[in-house]
Amino acid sequence: MAFGIKRGVRFQILSDGDLERIHWGTLHILEKVGVQVDSVACRKLLKDNGCEVDEKTRICRIPSHLVEEALVKKKASITLAARDPKYDAKLDMNHSYMTANGNGAVAVDFKTGKRRPSRKEDVVNSSKIIDYLPNIHIHWPMVSSTDQHPSVVHLHDLDASMNNTTKHVMYETGVTLSDAKNLTEIGYIAAGGEKEFKRRPIQSCLQCTYAPLQHDAGVMDASLYFAEHGVPLVFFGMPQPGATGPATLVGSLVVGNAEVLSALTMTQLHAPGSSVIYGMGNAPLDMRTTIRAGGSPEHAISSAMATELAHYYDMPSCVGVSATAKEPGDQAVMEYYTGCVGPLLAGADLMCGVGLLEDSSCLFYEEIVIDNEIVGAIARLIRGELANDETMALDIIEKVGVGKNFLAQKHTINHLKAGEHFMPELIDRRSFDAWSTSGSKSLVDRAKDKTKWILENHKVEPLDPATQKKVDAVIEKAKKPMWGGETKVA
Amino acid sequence: MADMVARLKDAVINYEMETIADLAKQALKEGVDPLVAIDKGLAEGIKNVGEKFGKGEIFLPELVMGAEAMKAALAVLEPAVPKGQHRASAGKVVIGTVQDDIHEIGKNLVATMLSSNGFEVVDLGVNVPAADFLKKADETKPNMVAMSALMTTTMPRMAEVITPLKKKNKAVKVLVGGAPVTDTYAKEIGADGYSGDASGAVDVAKKLVR
Repeated sequence: MAFGIKRGVRFQILSDGDLERIHWGTLHILEKVGVQVDSVACRKLLKDNGCEVDEKTRICRIPSHLVEEALVKKKASITLAARDPKYDAKLDMNHSYMTANGNGAVAVDFKTGKRRPSRKEDVVNSSKIIDYLPNIHIHWPMVSSTDQHPSVVHLHDLDASMNNTTKHVMYETGVTLSDAKNLTEIGYIAAGGEKEFKRRPIQSCLQCTYAPLQHDAGVMDASLYFAEHGVPLVFFGMPQPGATGPATLVGSLVVGNAEVLSALTMTQLHAPGSSVIYGMGNAPLDMRTTIRAGGSPEHAISSAMATELAHYYDMPSCVGVSATAKEPGDQAVMEYYTGCVGPLLAGADLMCGVGLLEDSSCLFYEEIVIDNEIVGAIARLIRGELANDETMALDIIEKVGVGKNFLAQKHTINHLKAGEHFMPELIDRRSFDAWSTSGSKSLVDRAKDKTKWILENHKVEPLDPATQKKVDAVIEKAKKPMWGGETKVA
Repeated sequence: MADMVARLKDAVINYEMETIADLAKQALKEGVDPLVAIDKGLAEGIKNVGEKFGKGEIFLPELVMGAEAMKAALAVLEPAVPKGQHRASAGKVVIGTVQDDIHEIGKNLVATMLSSNGFEVVDLGVNVPAADFLKKADETKPNMVAMSALMTTTMPRMAEVITPLKKKNKAVKVLVGGAPVTDTYAKEIGADGYSGDASGAVDVAKKLVR
């Protein structure tokens, strides 16, 4: 069976006219208001190509033809390759892929249940879980290795990730030029060389723009480096409707779109033909609690609309989902289901990501397992149905006739085996008696059992020792004092 | 005159951002004591708005609009305060988002909530280098320095401020916050307080500064 979620159902929110208006409005904003570009290299690049650049305010106004040209120049077919090629994610506009969520700083210890700063062992374990689960296709380092030297935390995150899953690894920690260089070097080593990596990029980087309408210096310097060195990029806008973007979801989409398109323009001016994925995750700021409303219907519909806009640009989308729940259970399920189903119905190519709570900051191992089940149900929902001889089964209906049943028909077992019916692993459909005699376990209990089983039984082939030695050397070389010669580890 | 003070208070409560400056000018013209106008008018008004927000009766934009109204009136009234006289204050706070981090909203919220609870707030903005925190702390002698970091990559910047700050002035309290920051981490880097949200930050600040 092909890797990824096959999709055949699609709903449409924005009309073609809506999309054109949003595109026009975005170009208008880029020309008239501009974006703040903190990177000196990027400002020079824009200025040399005819943008109006104010060195004092760092605002760059980008003429629309540059944006249109970038949309033509970008790489059209992107495959996020994996250490094991069976996990290659082809962004073919026909499959959806789920990613883990990333870069949290807190984990709830699986053994003790205690909340604590995340450690490298959490990255190791979550990577193993992601590797095992069939409905999560792309790995992210889910939390930070805060028990490691602060200057190389994120290199340890990547080290732990790529040694414990053979799926593609996307990180979101290439936020300075030196980070970009080290992360790229590690990627080249893991792939078996620069040429190999460029042919099959087994790692990629997601970069966040800053709403409204700003580009961080480190992030953009790193992005130019990644683009030039064959590391696929996602530019991820995340204005919060009502706070860092207009309250209207479409208004915030325009703000995010301006950020993504201007970042795309800079990378294509610097490295024409580089791989860029269109990213967006606009969750409103909850106006009562001041917490970002991840997993809200507005988050879901914004991600769905961003997907439509990405497809209007012939770009694959990478859109966001998260949850504000504090522990696995009813609220987390409701938020992740809502957050995933909207964008997936609209044809999201990549969805990031599952497994973290408290709006992408706290890892519970079992949440990854629960979200895997949610995605499984949605995958069935969006697969698409066909009415043909085989599915209409007129001959079988005729054969069975009135008042009998279809249980003993070969047609029945054949289609069950082909996956016609979703077979849940965590949803318990048994009778009350069967459920209560086996311990009256909740969905979360069952997820914990499965998590425990995965950690005890699932083995992942690490990198070979010679390759690992080279990775370790890069990390060692990158270590540097953080402030005043002192180094502190959480 | 008491009427003018009450009107200023109401103007904050009703978020009259565009017209409150004129009202403040009129109050001065009528001879209202600017300190009374601030303490009994504006401060009372923003306290009311802050309480309603704390109880979930109003939304965040209303709190922010109340703060904006207060700011507009302060710009008129503060220069009129005679030299040597001071506003009643719960304490002075220097606040900012650390270097390499330009996330603003959380920090602004804490600043707004602190001022609505009577603190005098010196806001350094975002992407503030450690040296600037230290310089401002030296100049303004605050009771507390508050720092925000929204990324795991910028969190360590907070320690960069705390170590030299505490070396120079043991009495100054440090409050830290931001999405990736935890209580444990705060303790580890030598901060006195931590809060996960703006309302909590006020409670912690009140405990630390008294």
